[in-house]
Amino acid sequence: MKKFDEVKIGDTLGPLELTVTKDQCRAYAKTSGFGDVAGRFTDEAAAKKEGLPGIILPGNMSLGLLSKLVTDWIGFGGARLTRMGTTYRVPVQPDHALTIHGFVTNINPDDRTVEIDVWIENEEAERLVTGTATVEFPK
Amino acid sequence: MTTTLDLHTHSEASEDSRAPVEAYLNWIKLRHVERPVDGIVLTEHRQFNREADYRPLEDKFGIMVLRASEVETNYGHMLVFGVNDDMLARFDFANIRLDAQTVIDEVARMGGIVVPCHPGRPNIGLYEHYESKPPLEHVVAVEALNGGSRKGEDARADELISKFGYASTGGSDSHLVSLIGLCATRFSAYIKDIDGLVRELKTGAYEAVDFRPRRKVVPHAVAVETR
Amino acid sequence: MVDFDPTIINKVFEHTDPVEVKPEMIKRFCESLGENNPLYTDPEAAKKGPYGGIVAPPSFAVTFRNGRHFFEHVPRYGKRGFDAGKDVEFVAPIHVGDTISLSSHVKEIYEKTGRTGTMVFVVIRSTLTNQNNQTVAHIDHRFMNRP
Repeated sequence: MKKFDEVKIGDTLGPLELTVTKDQCRAYAKTSGFGDVAGRFTDEAAAKKEGLPGIILPGNMSLGLLSKLVTDWIGFGGARLTRMGTTYRVPVQPDHALTIHGFVTNINPDDRTVEIDVWIENEEAERLVTGTATVEFPK
Repeated sequence: MTTTLDLHTHSEASEDSRAPVEAYLNWIKLRHVERPVDGIVLTEHRQFNREADYRPLEDKFGIMVLRASEVETNYGHMLVFGVNDDMLARFDFANIRLDAQTVIDEVARMGGIVVPCHPGRPNIGLYEHYESKPPLEHVVAVEALNGGSRKGEDARADELISKFGYASTGGSDSHLVSLIGLCATRFSAYIKDIDGLVRELKTGAYEAVDFRPRRKVVPHAVAVETR
Repeated sequence: MVDFDPTIINKVFEHTDPVEVKPEMIKRFCESLGENNPLYTDPEAAKKGPYGGIVAPPSFAVTFRNGRHFFEHVPRYGKRGFDAGKDVEFVAPIHVGDTISLSSHVKEIYEKTGRTGTMVFVVIRSTLTNQNNQTVAHIDHRFMNRP
């Protein structure tokens, strides 16, 4: 469980190396009601028809993975992820080696919040999705 | 004495960044060994804030903070250094369809300099525009290294630089605190303010420097279709 | 500048029907993300946690969809629309058994140029509330349209 007084600017979250399978991608799309709406997340042929290299992760799924990096860092504790902002720069593909990075960039002792940079990188070190998060610790 | 500046950065004043200037400076201090920059130039999108005063922060961290702007033209995005009242009166910085040649020539006439940025990037970089339109005149330098480049984009910039003999700058194009200072420009002269920067940019006596970490090779994953 | 009817800004164009959060929904969501934090996955352990029981991972908030009126009211510029990003404020955790409804309005419309051409951004703000009329989350969806 992460404690506020132990957090320092420059602390790292992860890096977390993972590969999302196509089935995971379809499962996520289905749980969030995308399944029947947009084939680009579930159907290889439909995605290619849209000019994509194949199935891509829903933006929300990337947001979910970035949020998970932060909530894993918090652990089983009282601190809470209170804000997450994401920018989808390049489509994220399943079956690729992804690395998720996070860095503590700012600490505000007055409201006991911590600012964190997060991003998803591919094998070429291209940042596909970038974001920032705010974590609030109990007063 | 040389001066190393990150010539392309976005703070929370840009609509797509949340990075406070103070957090940028703090990060540079923290990472000074890996990213030895003497200062940053804020190049906020489509705007120039005349009133912003970063002197207290400069003094607190001993890092220079200069102001420029990133505008959008028919040849892609361009950094405008030495922005003054004449330029602000002459151009609507928020216009995303500025005429590149006019901006380059008029900014030079008014005492500044324009540096096309991420020239190898699709649509918003020079390279692609040069394939369908005549090359621009009076370009002194282009951004050779951009911290946000995708694979191949900096290589296209290099191609343009060898072909047209442009000088090379570097900038992180950082929108996140932790990405500040990853690319920069090393000047052979001492620079202490925006006038000095504009003067030096016109000479071409500088090089782009890359502080991005050398990365271990990540093997491509093997696709498994289990459906 | 991009043309739009200024009266569209801030006008609430949709209230969705409440959706009940069932345990399976959170379970399936966690599985698809590889989530294993006991706060979200282990009912016994979660009882001893700060929320007194299982809550959804914060990002579960973005899975609540706007209804059929949504895309009728989101101004479209050109044929292709993409999700360009989100800004989410997680105000309160979502518990099993909560019923969540959404209210949405157009927050902002603006234009810029990028890797893929001229882009018109339409920002839709959705506010999620639970059965006690408490705000659970604010979600700014940035939709990018290519004219």
